[in-house]
Amino acid sequence: MNGRLSRRTALATGTALLVWPRLSRAAMDPARAAEFIRTTGNRLVAIINGGGSLEQRRAQVAEVLRAAVDIEGVGRFILGRWWNLASEAERREYLLLFEEIIIRNLSSRFGELAGVRFSIGRSQPRTEDDVLVSTEVVQPGSPPFALDWLVAEVAGQPKVVDVVAEGASLRLTTRSEYSSVISRNGGRVGPLLDAMRQQIARLASQER
Amino acid sequence: MRRLAHRVLPALLLAILALPGCATRPPASEPEARAEFDANNDPLEPLNRGLFFVHEGLDTLVLRPAAEAYRIFVPPPVRTGVSNVLANLRSPVILANDLLQGESARARITAERFLINTTLGLGGILDPATDMGRPRHTEDFGQTLAVWGVGEGFYLFLPGLGPSSLRDAAGFGVDMLLDPLFWITLEPGRTLRALAVTRTAATAVTQREALVETVDRVRRESLDPYATFRSGWRQQRERDIRNGRSE
Repeated sequence: MNGRLSRRTALATGTALLVWPRLSRAAMDPARAAEFIRTTGNRLVAIINGGGSLEQRRAQVAEVLRAAVDIEGVGRFILGRWWNLASEAERREYLLLFEEIIIRNLSSRFGELAGVRFSIGRSQPRTEDDVLVSTEVVQPGSPPFALDWLVAEVAGQPKVVDVVAEGASLRLTTRSEYSSVISRNGGRVGPLLDAMRQQIARLASQER
Repeated sequence: MRRLAHRVLPALLLAILALPGCATRPPASEPEARAEFDANNDPLEPLNRGLFFVHEGLDTLVLRPAAEAYRIFVPPPVRTGVSNVLANLRSPVILANDLLQGESARARITAERFLINTTLGLGGILDPATDMGRPRHTEDFGQTLAVWGVGEGFYLFLPGLGPSSLRDAAGFGVDMLLDPLFWITLEPGRTLRALAVTRTAATAVTQREALVETVDRVRRESLDPYATFRSGWRQQRERDIRNGRSE
């Protein structure tokens, strides 16, 4: 097991060094990925079930998520084929807006899970780069649900690169959503940015 | 009410028919756009978006309020009991599809669940089978067709029912025929008919109730709920077809 793992690590690292000298991703160790999710999950649960106002809890959850999620990588993945069509300024603004939206949405989603517990299930490599860590989230009064975390190494640190709720990937679903907005607006990224700005304004007014 | 339906329905149908029918596939010179178009597999998108719009209206006016009322007026243990009874009544359909998919272990679980929950579970109100190591799962003929290698056809949005596909809509019809209770309710008799209607209504309300938060969240957070539902539904459907196993 260890031999195979290190060979895979060596192979992936070698390939990464050869092909993309500046790319910082390397193969992820399943045990390390699981440990990372356990730590992050425990931190989130402690905040969600801890004291403080909703506002405070949301801010704390956001802080944990900012550190744990590879926001730039996820954002670029989601913009997908439109990334190359976007201007430098559009890309910069997109990433800023995306970070705001993803953190807000995830914080409010996790914030809803009062009294939550979770257990770590299997942790298995999905590709050379990433490991899927399965968790089961149990909330009093509702059936348990499957929440899987895709973890990859980014700049030497394990980071969450996708969250899969009951089989639906946040990355894939959001990519479909954003691409649809761009396609329906004549293939321009600008209208997506407008919609994102409006959404942030709307979410901010709802929180008050 | 009936007169209203007579007036509203034709207008609605006309509105749907007046919608542009088909989306155009991007040319071969745009391979990425084409790949996305094929992955969405939604050639009827303009029509489907119209149907989605109709569904959203129906949902806002009828389905969601009914689900909310159910949640407010019926206490949680009773709701669990209702869900259990409905799930138990579906056992024959699940069993048939387990068998058609060659899933003998799962078929056995379905059969044992039905026997345990119908007797010890007091007609299916309780679910002791889950505690006895026989957890609940569902199956439908759309999934069976997929396991047999039948493609999705194309995406369909059905007002009142939600995201579907040509394959799954056909499967929905077959499941109805696979259901022994459907045939029993064809017998003359008002009581049976009333029970069948109650069951359908209860199924709709309980299923909608379970989705209140999810749907609310998509409506609140998505920049294009239609696209979000299409993508999310398809991914979950693929997982259900694989019975949760990885590819």
